[in-house]
Amino acid sequence: MVLQLHVWGPAFDLPSIDAQCLAAIAYCSEVLPKDSWELIASSDPSVSPTGELPALQNGSIWVSRFRNIVDYLRQYSEGAWNLDQDLDDVQKADSVAFSSFIESRGQSLIDLYLYVTSQNYYNNTSPAYGALLQWPNQWILPPKLHSAAKTRTEHLGLSSLDLQAMEDQRKREHSAAVASGQIPSNLIQQPRDTVSKLLGRTAQTNQFRLEALTADFFEPLEAMLARNKTCLLPADDNNNPSSLDCVALGYLSLALVPELTFPWLRDAMRAKAPLLAAYTERMRSRCFGDAPVEPKHAFQPVPAALPWRAPERISVAAVGSTLLGTLADNTPFLREVRQNRRLKQAVQADSEFSSVEKQVLSSYADSSNKDMLLSVATAVAGTAALVGYMVHVGLLSFSTAGVEEEEESEQDAGVLQIDPGSAADFLGAF
Amino acid sequence: MPPKGPDSPPEESNASPFFTVPAPIKRLFDKFPLTTYPANEIPQRLRPHDNVNQLYVFTDASGARHGRPSFNPQCLKWQAYLKFVGIDFEITSSNNHASPNGSLPFLLPSLPADASNPIPSHKIQKWAIEQVHCEEEQQLNMRFEVYASLLDNRIRSAWLYMLYLDSENFDAVARRLYVNPTTSNSVVRAALGHQLQQAARDELLKTSRYIDAAALEADAGGAFAALSTLLGEDEHFFGRPNPGLFDASVFAYTQLILDDTLGWKRNRLAQLLKEHPNLVQHRDRLLKFF
Repeated sequence: MVLQLHVWGPAFDLPSIDAQCLAAIAYCSEVLPKDSWELIASSDPSVSPTGELPALQNGSIWVSRFRNIVDYLRQYSEGAWNLDQDLDDVQKADSVAFSSFIESRGQSLIDLYLYVTSQNYYNNTSPAYGALLQWPNQWILPPKLHSAAKTRTEHLGLSSLDLQAMEDQRKREHSAAVASGQIPSNLIQQPRDTVSKLLGRTAQTNQFRLEALTADFFEPLEAMLARNKTCLLPADDNNNPSSLDCVALGYLSLALVPELTFPWLRDAMRAKAPLLAAYTERMRSRCFGDAPVEPKHAFQPVPAALPWRAPERISVAAVGSTLLGTLADNTPFLREVRQNRRLKQAVQADSEFSSVEKQVLSSYADSSNKDMLLSVATAVAGTAALVGYMVHVGLLSFSTAGVEEEEESEQDAGVLQIDPGSAADFLGAF
Repeated sequence: MPPKGPDSPPEESNASPFFTVPAPIKRLFDKFPLTTYPANEIPQRLRPHDNVNQLYVFTDASGARHGRPSFNPQCLKWQAYLKFVGIDFEITSSNNHASPNGSLPFLLPSLPADASNPIPSHKIQKWAIEQVHCEEEQQLNMRFEVYASLLDNRIRSAWLYMLYLDSENFDAVARRLYVNPTTSNSVVRAALGHQLQQAARDELLKTSRYIDAAALEADAGGAFAALSTLLGEDEHFFGRPNPGLFDASVFAYTQLILDDTLGWKRNRLAQLLKEHPNLVQHRDRLLKFF
């Protein structure tokens, strides 16, 4: 059985646009024999039952997320396909800690770099997605990923990289100030700085913030590399990479390789961590081949460093289900029901869960469904109470004139009788 | 009030019906106040402590009196850190609404007495270094930030799941600690509880498409194993003679996970943690500071 690795498609000369997918590709290319696996740029999380990419398919078994794939390959091959088998305890601890460090810090930086920085998103990332996604996903997925990246990086307080958010905020503040008309001018907040201003003014706090973020990320990695020379964590005496190096390659190559409009992360990496930049280039040509990967390689495979296989054409049914799913996800309440159901299904499909855990998780999904129904009921009850109160107070008057007009309404009954029918017609039209 | 002279301005005479008081009532009110009591004392709990730093944390009244560990990991981290570096302080029960930046803990220093600006949690370390000239531990070992990311991500996610999204634990622990003290109104309690759970759920869904409890626990187990290896046979992390910020960060979670008085219904993290006796002993050693 040939293992199939489903990933987000290639972009920026790299085999994938997603760091976790790059890490999974690097790991598979290191650990798996050349003809035992295929790489499929399906670029659609809905191909996998877990709804996530990267996903490894072995017949009917699906495994998603990098760490789960590593674990699965080890178990499936009974220990043969494992880059980390020769690590001692201290190295294993380092591997876990550095992976967590790279995944958390690196993901924030990549989010800021590719998605939140408006110039890069609109000039580079968004067109790249356009080239690798099929209709209708190219209209649906990029905005989702964009907003997810924004929520993930909100706590960093660097939204001034996001020109659109800033423009919105400026307009909001301006209109609020104009509407009130009497706010003293020194109380109206000044609009925040744009990226171009940011570039021009080095003494900006945001610049400091970015400097601090990139330094915090690169310094420990550079120090680790200086100690171990060829790899972050050599798997054996021949300096072969371990799983940690694959993770690092995933995030660092996205920082280093893409040609973007505003390359602040690449500049920071080259300036602060020259060893790391050289190491990333080295690892990249080792795992992904020397030639840059272009999107067309994934769709019309030619013999290349990576075992590409063309993804199946998207079917009408898949398009329909994507559209329906998007519609449902954008409907309040339905979204939450679907979210909870997704958790439950994933749990019951996964045979690795013990029965206790299954029960716990399904009861969680049930209870959050109950929560959701409760909040619907609360909203309905609240509205009813408000309307009742307004009637009681007299803000709304359904019946105040009713007594006097009763005779009139009897005369008008012929006219009124049309209304229910027309309303039904109106509803029937849907 | 004396009757107005004929030469008083016309406006005043127009306004007079509103401002004159009938003579009998005026005589009555002239007798007031009958007695004047001395001013009330400022309430006991608001009396300014002139010479003690105040750390505002999530805790209950008796916990605040005895300086017991807070039940919030973030608060406990800084509470423990200040204890470890030897700064005197008292803790005060509070909530997020009291804080200048919207989250606890924050510190109200005693000095300088005139300008007591609150210090938010991310500046407490800097303040402590200025006070007692302890080391900034992040600079001493490059592994500090790397291993701290285990606590801030993997263990925190598993903690959020265990405390807020496991419904039995939420009812037994989080509701009792965070929701019930704020109000006795059951409708408000239900709404607050729902908000808390939703916030935890949103936090976990930021990094993954669905919440996979088994994966969260497995990650936390791996993180505990890595921390245990890092600690090794040492008394404190990074072989320091005295506990410091990293010990405080670890203790903040291990103490709460192992604290049976919180009333956990299902405590998978404690099972994972007890596989590493050196972390349990580390927690027991540090608990003696309280």
